[in-house]
Amino acid sequence: MSSRVLPQFDLLTPQSIPEAVAMLSQHQGQVSVLAGGTDMLLWNYIRKVKPTYLLRLSGLDELDYLNYIPGEGLIIGAKVKIVQLLEHPDVAEKFPALYQAASTFATPQIRNMATVMGNVLRGSPAGDCSCAILALGGQVVLQGPQGERLVGIDDFWVAYGVTERKNDELAVELRIPEPTSTTRSAFIRMTRVHEDLAKINVAVCLEMKQNTCQRARIAMGCVGPILVRLKQTEKLLEGQQITGELLEQLAASAQEEIAPIDDQRSTEEYRRQVAGVILRRVIEKAVGTH
Amino acid sequence: MKTKIMTLCVNGRDHRFEAPVNRTLLQALRDDLKLTETKYGCGTGECGGCTVLMDGKESICSCLTLAVEAEGRHITTVGGMTRDGELHPIQIAFIEEGAIQCGYCTPGMIMKTASILANNPHPSEDEIREGLEGNICRCTGYEKIVLAVQRASQMLDNSQIQKSGGMGQ
Ligand SMILES: Cc1cc2nc3c(=O)[nH]c(=O)nc-3n(C[C@H](O)[C@H](O)[C@H](O)COP(=O)(O)OP(=O)(O)OC[C@H]3O[C@@H](n4cnc5c(N)ncnc54)[C@H](O)[C@@H]3O)c2cc1C
Ligand code: FES
Ligand code: FES
Repeated sequence: MSSRVLPQFDLLTPQSIPEAVAMLSQHQGQVSVLAGGTDMLLWNYIRKVKPTYLLRLSGLDELDYLNYIPGEGLIIGAKVKIVQLLEHPDVAEKFPALYQAASTFATPQIRNMATVMGNVLRGSPAGDCSCAILALGGQVVLQGPQGERLVGIDDFWVAYGVTERKNDELAVELRIPEPTSTTRSAFIRMTRVHEDLAKINVAVCLEMKQNTCQRARIAMGCVGPILVRLKQTEKLLEGQQITGELLEQLAASAQEEIAPIDDQRSTEEYRRQVAGVILRRVIEKAVGTH
Repeated sequence: MKTKIMTLCVNGRDHRFEAPVNRTLLQALRDDLKLTETKYGCGTGECGGCTVLMDGKESICSCLTLAVEAEGRHITTVGGMTRDGELHPIQIAFIEEGAIQCGYCTPGMIMKTASILANNPHPSEDEIREGLEGNICRCTGYEKIVLAVQRASQMLDNSQIQKSGGMGQ
C-alpha cells in the first residue's frame, strides 16, 4: 500500500439537506461530515475522531453558492471552497480581511479542496478564514431536526476543536454582514514557512470616521485554545484618533490580553512579543497607512 | 471491511473496480489501477507529489481525496499527458530545461504546471512561483522548474501555429 491506510468507516451520501439531517439524528455522535477532507482525512485527525460514518456532501450541490447581496452582506454555502473567495470580485472589494486570509491560505491545491465552512467547523485557533470571519462578525446557520438555528460567530467556538454545533445539525451557511462605506478590514498572519499553519494571526474590522475609529472588532488566533476577540484593546481603540502613540498603547494592551502557550510552532514569549507588532501592522493595513 | 464498486474515469478511460470505501484517490490510482506515475510523498497535503487534475484544470492532492469523491469527475495523471506516444510540450520543456533530477516530484510538478497554464497561459515568474507553492522539490532548487514552465508556456503558444511534429525540437 502506497500510503497509510485510513481507519475504517462507512459512507453516508444524502441527496437533500433534510435527508442529511435525518441521517445525523439517526446515528447521533457517530457521524462526521466530510467537506474538502483537508482536515478530516489527515491521519492524526481521523484517528482521533474515529467516525463510524462519514457523511458526504457530494449529493448536496444546493450548498454550493457564494453570493453578495447589497444591503445584507455575504452568504457562503457550506460547499464553497477557499479558491472561490479569491474569484469573487465583491469579496476582494468589500471583505478585504476575508480575501487576504484566503489568499495566504495553504497552497493552490488545498485552496481548491478546502471549504470555508470546514475551516470554521474545525474549531482550530489557527484557522485563517475563521479569524477573518470573527473580526467581520457574522453568523453560522445550522440545520437540525427542529429546523434552522443561527449562532453568532462570537459564541460559536467553545473549546479547542469544539463548536456550538450539535451532533444532529448540519452547518449549511455562513453570513457576514454588509460593510458600510467607511468600514475597513484587514488580515495578517505569520508562519514558519509559507505552507505551514499560522503561528499567530490577526484580523481587524474598523468603523472609521475620518481618522477616528468608532467601532472595532479585533480577532487573534494561536494565542489561546480558541480564536479570541481582544475586547479590552477594542475599547482602547474606540472613539480614538489612530496615532502612533495610540498604536503603541494598543500593542501593549494586546500583549496583556492574550494567553499564548509554547508549542511546536512558537513560544509563548515570542507570540506575546509579536502580537503587539502584528496588531499595529494590521490596523495600519486596514486604514491604508501601511 | 466496507467495500464499494467504484468507477473512476482516468485519462479518458473508465475503470470499474471494487475497493474499500476508505481508499484515497492516490491509493486507488496506484494500488487498484496500477497507475503508479502519481507519487506518495507525505500523505498530508504538503508535498504535491500526488497532484492530479480534476476535470482538466483543477489541481488537487489525491492523498487527501477519497476515491469515491472522484467518481463522475475526469481525472488526469501525468500518464494522460502523452498523446499517441508523443510527449506533451510540458514534458518536453521539463526535459529540455533539465528541470528533473531524481524525478520524484516531476509527475506532480507537470500536473501543477498543466493547471497553471490551463488557467493562465502566460504567467509571470511570480505567478509561476506562487502556483508551484504546493509542490516540493528536494533536488533542483526550483530555478530550472520555473524556466521549464516558462518554456512550456511558449511551446504551447507555438504549437498552436506549428501543427505538424517537431514541437519544440
Ligand atoms: C497542507 C495543509 C495546509 C493547510 N493550511 C491551512 C492554512 O493556511 N490556514 C488554515 O486556516 N487552515 C489550513 N489547513 C487546514 C484545512 O485546510 C482548513 O481547516 C480547511 O478549511 C478545512 O476545510 P475542509 O473543507 O477540508 O474540511 P474537512 O476536513 O472536510 O472538515 C473539517 C471539520 O469540519 C467539519 N465540517 C465540515 N463541513 C461541515 C458541515 N457542513 N457541517 C458540519 N460539520 C462540518 C468536519 O466534520 C470536520 O470536523 C491546511 C491543511 C493542510 C492539509
Ligand atoms: S502525498 Fe499528497 S501532498 Fe504529499
Ligand atoms: S527532482 Fe528530485 S525532488 Fe524534484
